[in-house]
Amino acid sequence: MSDLAQNTLDGLFAGSSYALLALGFTLIFGVLRRVNLSFGPAIMLGCYAATWTQLNFGAGLLLLAAVAILGSVLAGAYVERLCFAPHRRGSAIAAMVASFALWMQLEELATLALPRHIYDFPPLYAGAPLEFGGLSLRVESLVMLAAAGAACALLWWILRRTRFGIAVRAVIDQPEAAQLAGISVPRTFFATFALASAIGGLAGFLISASYEQVTPMLGMWSTLKGLLAMMLGGLGSLPGAVLGGLALGLLEAHSQWFLGPQARDLIAYALLFVLLAARVPWMTTRSAS
Amino acid sequence: MDDYAIGVLTNIGLVSFLALSAYLLLIAGEMSFGQQAFFGVGAYAGGILTAMYGWPLPLAAAAAMALGALAQFLLGLPTLRLKGLYFAMATLAAAEMMRILFELFHFQRLIEGETVGPDGTQGFRGIRWVFERGVEPIEYLGIVYALLALALAAFLFLERSRLGATLRGVGEDPELAAALGVDIDRLKLGVAAAAGALAALGGVLFAHHNTYIEPRNFDIMLGVHSLAYALIGGLGTALGPLLGVVLDIGALEGSRVFQGYRMIVFGGLVALLLVWRPRGLLDERTVQWVKQRFS
Amino acid sequence: MGKAALFLILGFVPALALAQAPKAELACKSTGTDFVYDCTIRLSRAGKPLEGAQVTMSADMPSMPMAHNVKPVKAQAGQAPGEYRAKLDLEMLGVWAVKLRLAGPVRDLLVLHYEFDSSGATPAKR
Repeated sequence: MSDLAQNTLDGLFAGSSYALLALGFTLIFGVLRRVNLSFGPAIMLGCYAATWTQLNFGAGLLLLAAVAILGSVLAGAYVERLCFAPHRRGSAIAAMVASFALWMQLEELATLALPRHIYDFPPLYAGAPLEFGGLSLRVESLVMLAAAGAACALLWWILRRTRFGIAVRAVIDQPEAAQLAGISVPRTFFATFALASAIGGLAGFLISASYEQVTPMLGMWSTLKGLLAMMLGGLGSLPGAVLGGLALGLLEAHSQWFLGPQARDLIAYALLFVLLAARVPWMTTRSAS
Repeated sequence: MDDYAIGVLTNIGLVSFLALSAYLLLIAGEMSFGQQAFFGVGAYAGGILTAMYGWPLPLAAAAAMALGALAQFLLGLPTLRLKGLYFAMATLAAAEMMRILFELFHFQRLIEGETVGPDGTQGFRGIRWVFERGVEPIEYLGIVYALLALALAAFLFLERSRLGATLRGVGEDPELAAALGVDIDRLKLGVAAAAGALAALGGVLFAHHNTYIEPRNFDIMLGVHSLAYALIGGLGTALGPLLGVVLDIGALEGSRVFQGYRMIVFGGLVALLLVWRPRGLLDERTVQWVKQRFS
Repeated sequence: MGKAALFLILGFVPALALAQAPKAELACKSTGTDFVYDCTIRLSRAGKPLEGAQVTMSADMPSMPMAHNVKPVKAQAGQAPGEYRAKLDLEMLGVWAVKLRLAGPVRDLLVLHYEFDSSGATPAKR
C-alpha cells in the first residue's frame, strides 16, 4: 500500500512537469491551431543558456531560472517569426515542417555550444526529502506542483482578467471577427507564443534543476511529453493539459513500478492509441486538421 | 567511385523508400509519423529470415514486404476515422510501441557455434547474407537503385491512372470523393498496405547493407525526417520525396565546408524555402506547369 | 552489374559455410582537434591476430542511422600483428556505431558501439 502511495507521489512530480509542458503546447495549439515541433528544442536552448551561464559565471538559481526562461522566449520568438507568422493564413503543415527544420537547427546550435552529452545543473533543493508516514516527498515535487498550479492560475487570470486575454479568447473563437474588431491577430499570436515559451522555459529549468542534469535529449523529450499530455487531456483545453500531464505522470510511475521502464512508455503510448482509436469525445471535440 | 560516395548514394536510396512511403500516405491525405516502424519490421523480418533461416534475400525481401503491408494494414484499421493531427499522433504512438517491442524482442538461434538473432536493445548483428556472397558495395548500390526505379515507375504509372486521380481526390476533399461514390475505407487501407510494403522493402535493404540493426535505428527522428523529405521535396510527384532526400543527405557531402553547422544552415534554408513554397519544391502547381510546358 | 543479376538468380544457392568470424577491439584517443580521434584497431580471428587485412573504418550514429556521413578512412598496419591505425573524424560526441569493413584474407563488416567523449572512446554501455 505504501508503494502505491509513494509511486503516486513520484508520479505527481513527473506529472506536474508534464502539465507545465502541456500547458505551453496547448496554448500554442489552442490559439494558433498549429503544432510546434520546436517547442522542446526552444526550451532546451533556454536550459543550455542557463547551463552555459552556470559554467562560466556560477550564477544563483534565480538568475539561472531567468536565463532559462528568457532563452526559451527568445528561441520561441525566433521560431514564431520564421515558421508560424509567414504561414498564418496558409498551410498548417508547412508551419509544422518549418518548425521541424528549426528543431534540427536549434538542437545543433545547442550541441555546438555545449558538446558533451551530459552537464551538471545546480540542484533545486540541496536538502533531504521530507519524510512522513513512511513516505518520502522530495521538496522539488512540491515546487513543481506549485509551479504548475501557479502557471494555471496565472493563465486563468490572464485569459479572464486582462485585455490581452480577451483578445486571445476572441482570436480562438472567431479570428476573422477579432481582426475586424481591431485586434491584431499576428501580435496576439506572437505574444501567445512568447507566453507559452516562458512557461516551457520555467518547466525546463525546474526539470533540469530537479534532476540536476541537462542533456541534449531534453528537446525531443519535452516535445514528446508535452504532446502526449496534451493529447491525453484533450486537445486545446488548458485544464485538460494539466489533467493530462498529471495523469501521464501517475500512469508512468505506476507502470514503471510494476512492469519496468519499457512497460512505462509502452503503456502510455498504448493508452493514447486506444483513446484515439476509440475517438473518445473529449479528445476529438476540437478540430485538429 | 570511392567507397564514401557509394555509401552516401546507398543511404540516399534506402531513405528514399521511407520518404516515398510517407509520400504515398500524404497524397491520400494522411500524415504519418510512424513509417519508421514498418522500415524496422522489414529490417527485422528480412534479417531473421536470411541470417537465421538461410532464406535467400529476394524471398526474404518479398516476405518482409508482405509483413510490412500487413502491419500497416492492421494499423490502418483502428485509425480509419482519424484525421489530421489525431491520425499523426496515433501513428506516432504505434511506431513508438513497435520500437519498444523491438527492445523487448529476444529471439536467437545457435548457428555454427554462434548465437545469431535479435537481442533486444543489444541489437541484431550478423546479417551478412550479402557479404557471404561477395557482393561488392557498388553492386548492392545497383540493386537498391534498380528496386527504387521499379518503385518510381509504379508511382509514375499511378499518377497517370484513374486510381491516382482518385487518390489525390480523396486526399484533397474526402467528402466530395465519398459523395461521388468512392469507397474511402478500401482505398485508405490499400494505400496503407502499399506504404507498409514500401517502407519494409527499404528496411530489408537497410538491414543487409548495414549487417547490424538495433531498435534505436527506428526511432521518431527517422520517421519525422522522411515525412519532412516528402513535404519539402514536394507533393506534386514521386520525384518530390526523392528530391527532399537528396537535398538533405546529399547536402551533407557538399557541406563538408559547413562541418558541424550543416543543420543550422540547412534547417534555416528549409524554413525559408517553405515560406516561399509551402507545399514543397515540386508541388502540384510546379508539376502542372512543367507538364504544360513540355506537352 | 552482370554479377548482381547472377547473384539474384543464384540467390538460392546457399553460402559457403563461413569460418570463424573475426573480432575487433578499438582504442581511441582524442587528438586535441575537435572530434578527431587517433584509433588503434586490434583484429583477431579464432583467437589469433588477423594480419594483412585491408580495414576501412567509418561510423554512424545509432539514432540517426543515415544522417551523418563520416568519411571512411583506410587504416594503416600498426606495429604489432593484427594492429591497424586510423584517424576518425566524427561530427559530434556521443555514442557511435563504428563500422570496420574488412577486405583481404577475410571479408566482413564489423559494427562496434563506442562512446566518444573529449578524451577518447570507451565501449558503450547498453
